[in-house]
Amino acid sequence: MNPSRTATSAVAADADTALRQKVLRRIRSRPTTRGAVILLGILLLLALLAPFIAPQNPHDLASLSVMDNRLEPGSQGMTGITYWLGTDAQGRDMLSAILYGLRTSLLVGLTSTAGALAVGILAGLTAAQFGGAVDAVIMRIVDFMLGFPSILIALVLLASIGRGVDKVIVAIILVQWAQYARLMRAAALVERRKEYIEAAVNFGLPTRHIMLAHLLPNSIGSVLVVSTISIAGAITLEATLSFLGVGVPVTQPSLGLLIANGFEFLLSGEYWIAAFPGIALVLLIMSLNLVGERLRRSFNVRG
Amino acid sequence: MHRTLISAFIAGTCLLSAPAWAQSLKIALSSEPTAIDPHYHDLTPNNALIAHIFDGLTKQDENQKVLPNLATSWENDGKTRWTFKLRQGVTFSNGQPFTADDVIFSFCRTLKNETAIAGSFADITGNFTAVEAPDSHTIVITTKAPDPLLPNFLSGLAILSSSIVPHDKLAFDAAKNCGVTGTWPVVGDFNDGKLAIGTGPYKFKSYTKGTSVELERNDKYWGPAEPWANVTFVPVPNAGPRLAGLLAGDYDVIENPAARDVSRIRDDKRFGYVIMPSTRVIYFQLDVEREPSPFVKAENGKNPLKDPRVRKAMSLAIDRDAIIKRIMDSAAEPAYQFLPNGMFGALANPPKLAYDPAAAKKLLAEAGYPNGFQLTLSTTNDRYINDSQITQAVAQYLTQVGIRSEVDAMARAIYFPRRSKKEFSVALGGWGSTSGEASSFLRQWPATPDEAKTIGGSNYGGYNDPEFDKLIRTAIVTLDDAKRAEILQQAGTKVLEGGAFIPLHFESTIWAYKANLKYAGRADQFTMAMQVKSAK
Repeated sequence: MNPSRTATSAVAADADTALRQKVLRRIRSRPTTRGAVILLGILLLLALLAPFIAPQNPHDLASLSVMDNRLEPGSQGMTGITYWLGTDAQGRDMLSAILYGLRTSLLVGLTSTAGALAVGILAGLTAAQFGGAVDAVIMRIVDFMLGFPSILIALVLLASIGRGVDKVIVAIILVQWAQYARLMRAAALVERRKEYIEAAVNFGLPTRHIMLAHLLPNSIGSVLVVSTISIAGAITLEATLSFLGVGVPVTQPSLGLLIANGFEFLLSGEYWIAAFPGIALVLLIMSLNLVGERLRRSFNVRG
Repeated sequence: MHRTLISAFIAGTCLLSAPAWAQSLKIALSSEPTAIDPHYHDLTPNNALIAHIFDGLTKQDENQKVLPNLATSWENDGKTRWTFKLRQGVTFSNGQPFTADDVIFSFCRTLKNETAIAGSFADITGNFTAVEAPDSHTIVITTKAPDPLLPNFLSGLAILSSSIVPHDKLAFDAAKNCGVTGTWPVVGDFNDGKLAIGTGPYKFKSYTKGTSVELERNDKYWGPAEPWANVTFVPVPNAGPRLAGLLAGDYDVIENPAARDVSRIRDDKRFGYVIMPSTRVIYFQLDVEREPSPFVKAENGKNPLKDPRVRKAMSLAIDRDAIIKRIMDSAAEPAYQFLPNGMFGALANPPKLAYDPAAAKKLLAEAGYPNGFQLTLSTTNDRYINDSQITQAVAQYLTQVGIRSEVDAMARAIYFPRRSKKEFSVALGGWGSTSGEASSFLRQWPATPDEAKTIGGSNYGGYNDPEFDKLIRTAIVTLDDAKRAEILQQAGTKVLEGGAFIPLHFESTIWAYKANLKYAGRADQFTMAMQVKSAK
């Protein structure tokens, strides 16, 4: 369409392929990273297939029985099913609850990160493109948001709007968009000084076109890389909020809520209610962090 | 040389610290009081705490028997006139002497208390037509209608010092502001300790919401001095950490360790415990008035809870025995009425509320809901023993007969104000009879509110049964005990038939403590430092 764009795109494409191969090589060459990728894949698969592989639907109250509550791992229930990981205080099969909990955690983690990315990228791009007063206003809001501990903002917000998966997602988006906005702005500012953008401006291309077609694709890389680590952060935040009792509804427990439920039984020797969801959460966060960290290092991004 | 110094130092510290340790008491509460203001909310944790700082005219012992306190004796003329003789030589912790003026001021404050929740305590004083002080240590109360339980009720009504606000001559006349010239105190004035001045055995030291309430011995107390120089109450809503704190030696006394953990304490010589049945009934209150109700969704768009058959079906769907066995670990008694058998005005032999899901489904179909409907049960998660777990279990049972239920569990600081604004459709409640009589529940919850709000103050579900109203209104003004008991039984039967309240069980309260202490346990579930003794 226009010469400057095709030229840069061709060069960028070559560099991209080289980089991608380098990253893949690095991931393969490190056993920990390889293990993390495999583990993450398994967890994703389990979450995705939860409704088909879980022995029980833990969100359907009619399928639970209080009479089967707090059974040890491996016990037989009244209905004949075996609870391989035991049951919680409501008679929920822990294995099913963990599979569904993984689903909730990943759903919250992925959607809220996507949402926060969208908001943050738009804000950062706008700030970088327009500069001046627009930049100042947006970045002061970002500073303000980053000045508060994220858990505090989320707690206050959820206490006022109530529980629910959708509300937790909104709260996490609100907490996390600011960091992406800051990163995006920095990356876009660097990009803006490059000659091809100057050329585009001199061609008289519309601002929106420059922003979305040139600035965005060329500066988004670092933000995307950082977001892989932030998925783990979002999941941790959801777990914390649910643990504190303001997250997901009690009848649809996420991993954090399952741990909270089991917490009070730990001392009574009924370890499985908190321990197994805890292990699942640790594995999930660890694999996400390992993969994200490796990506970040390979792309040499500072987040 | 060096070593001697160190050992001397250690010995010295031990000598210094040992008596201080023996005199301070740290108590872990399962449910935190919501205020230091004694008239803020008529709630068990609040009433238990304020009894340390404030006295009422009367008090109740561990079995809810009424005893003299700031009043030494009282008599009733057989109708509406009560004369209370006040105790001589009592001073408040700020040094002001206690007189009849303080009583008049305190009664007035309950009527002028803008920050009170659900008209707490105004339900008692709203029934007074006159309060007079013939002399500085006599109080004559005239009630609108005969009030047989007045001395019981007054045990919970804390007496404030009239010196905390500027006033002229005090008189019981709310329309003329009772003679008070300043502004009436609000809840915050007490919580920061400024106005928390009483005649009780302890005085206020500090209060940090969610962290602790600290009290110290009131050296001006009129009764025998307390053995504890300092008492600290720490709210620990989670049963696990509460017990862990006791086992680790952080707490001297804890409220309500989980019943499943009692065996651990029993097998450990370092600790003791007591289990006491209480009058606290746990129940669900249904919105039977509004159309539609905020948390009910039926296919026909109506509020099914208005149909008595649906209410009956809900009660039939719940397996009370299973909840008690599996969730309460047997530390509760099934409730087939609102006060345990054997208490005053309770039914001697109420019909068992059986578990019959098939009959429940049939009733639902009869009522026009063969496919059930959707419901959200609202509950606290930090007030009653296992409250949120109980509600979830009930949600299971309701869902199993087709009433698809969700649970909204929240902290009581959010729950109680929302409930009093009638934001719920089905709400978990718990009520301990403060008077030890059946009238306590019946006048507060199912009664249609009267103008003065002395009854029906908690009728959030809009229950309205004129026949029942007639009975309860008669009962509470009947001085003859035998007759009153009979009318209360009739009234109780009516409410059970109405089904707008679904009783689940009566809580049993457990206290655990270090072996060098002793706690007697109380039917009203109060945890009081005054009741903690050294075991010899």
